[in-house]
Amino acid sequence: MVSTDQKTDVKEKEADCPVVVAVTSHAVFESGGAEDPDGLYVGGIAFPLLQALQKVNERLLKENPAESLLFDVIVITTESQQQQQSSRITESIRHHGLKVSRFCFSNEEDFIENLLNNNVHLFLTTNRNEALQGSQKGVLSVLLDEHTASCPTEQLRVLFCGDAVVQSEAGPALASKQAAQSFSAQIGKMRGRFGLFDSPISIALVTSRGGRESCGDALRTLRSLGVNADEAYCLAGVPRGPIKRLLRPHFLLSECFSSN
Amino acid sequence: MVKMSLEPVQVMSGQVAELKVAPSSNGDSAGSWEGKREFDKDHLGLTAKPKPPKPENAVTVAVSSRVLFRTEREQKVFEQQGVEEYLRYQIEHENEPFAPGPAFPFVKALETVNARLRELYPQSEELFDIVLVTYNHAHVGIRLINTINHHNLFIERFCMTGGSSPIGYLKAWQTNLYLSADANKVREALTEGIAAATMFMPEKMTEVSESQLRVAFDGDAVLFSDESERIFKAHGLDKFFEHEKENEDRLLDHGPLKGFLEALGKLQKKFYAKGQRLDCPIRTYLVTARSAASSGIRALKTLRAWGLEIDEALFLAGAPKGPMLEKIRPHIYFDDQMFHIEGAAEMGTIAAHVPYGIAQKHNSKHNTSAGK
Repeated sequence: MVSTDQKTDVKEKEADCPVVVAVTSHAVFESGGAEDPDGLYVGGIAFPLLQALQKVNERLLKENPAESLLFDVIVITTESQQQQQSSRITESIRHHGLKVSRFCFSNEEDFIENLLNNNVHLFLTTNRNEALQGSQKGVLSVLLDEHTASCPTEQLRVLFCGDAVVQSEAGPALASKQAAQSFSAQIGKMRGRFGLFDSPISIALVTSRGGRESCGDALRTLRSLGVNADEAYCLAGVPRGPIKRLLRPHFLLSECFSSN
Repeated sequence: MVKMSLEPVQVMSGQVAELKVAPSSNGDSAGSWEGKREFDKDHLGLTAKPKPPKPENAVTVAVSSRVLFRTEREQKVFEQQGVEEYLRYQIEHENEPFAPGPAFPFVKALETVNARLRELYPQSEELFDIVLVTYNHAHVGIRLINTINHHNLFIERFCMTGGSSPIGYLKAWQTNLYLSADANKVREALTEGIAAATMFMPEKMTEVSESQLRVAFDGDAVLFSDESERIFKAHGLDKFFEHEKENEDRLLDHGPLKGFLEALGKLQKKFYAKGQRLDCPIRTYLVTARSAASSGIRALKTLRAWGLEIDEALFLAGAPKGPMLEKIRPHIYFDDQMFHIEGAAEMGTIAAHVPYGIAQKHNSKHNTSAGK
């Protein structure tokens, strides 16, 4: 698996490289390309998430102006129609004050390759198919839904799902699991830059079906990755919905725990 | 052993990572049994561990870590050295289980009742479900799990909120009773309509029954509203008696713990239905300053109208409650007045304060400290 090896090589060399997050333009802007009076795109589902990522960067730099472990946000188009809207996309981004380091104007055929070439650690999309494709190529791919839209902008909330019952929408794959573990380790490290309270990142763990042993195991797994969870919920069969509504995570990660 | 490349993770975190894989409990991924290094302790059919009941069927009792266990030393570290040191200390002592706290005997007794209920009704989910609810950060999670294992408690659900309010979770889990060491959190729960009480670690804890759960309640402002107590506080004892006599046939309004008594009653009836009235492992007590001759009648009539039975009603007519409680030896005693809580504790009874009603204005000098 050439792509995976490339990724691990990169990691060995740079201990504190930026965390590259690629978001599709569909996720950033309202679907259907809704426009405001100036002809610019209106903010979509991933908006609060991008703002939260930005907040994390701001705080990281505040702690250490020379910090290199930052989020590096790329906006990527994944279909030819959007590919042609390049200037409108860049303008809209600028207009909304989002800090994006790069734009990748790809289409459905080559976006995966662009993800790999850009060493993307986390791929965020609202399209299930795209997430599946990304995952199959070993890129940690997370499917965003409407819940993400109502999440806070002041704090990035990451939820780890400790039992494999909650399979990520993209489906498990070994390479994807390694990607998930690396990403989690990076998040854990970032979290460690801040104290217990007033952190711009918050990490929660939920185990849905198992009892306390499952949760204990999940906590240990996270710890072995260098991730210290702030919150932990062991549901042992209680429906997840209400808990998720209370937690308001920006996205969920479950691949770290699948038994592949 | 599943061949996985662990190297990148080891380099990244600079430690030898022993990856413990939580098993896939739904088994839908192909080859989930291949190379399983740990069997699924929770779902292995061989263990006799029963599944936790659904919240809508169970009587959910949420306890905080500070009342289930003794955490004074850790509290001191938190207060004197701050939160980072507190967490470091907890992790360092992760394999040392905490000692039992004031709610421990109560929780053990709930489990005894569950065992009896399971014998009689093996398929039923009408059981006690004990949930650990704590403001602690998840860093302390492993120590708490180790402690639960050590004491062989059946607690399979918990929430560690890392500092935020657990009220939303209490509601989502349809909590019937919440016990905490922090009066502010208890007050918050009461405001949201959840029965709650503050517990304290007494100097001594007298021995309680291991085969029968005993729960004692004060009347006014606990089972009943504080309406009569207001009269007493405003106009004195004589006026109180007069008022109660006049209103004998008017039901008292309900208080915060009425629902919990009701839940206990429902479980009691399950034992009666199987001919176990005399041997029932749940026993309830009313311990009130009201007098049997006069004001007590209104209390009894109210309970009867609510369809609630109480096994023993003790009308003390103002006499101190301590000695009576010492005789009863309840696993927990609910009262709204700190004066009685302290009196009970002096004699070794585990008492829980319900910060509700008019008496709280007079309790101000007894406010417990806030914190974890």
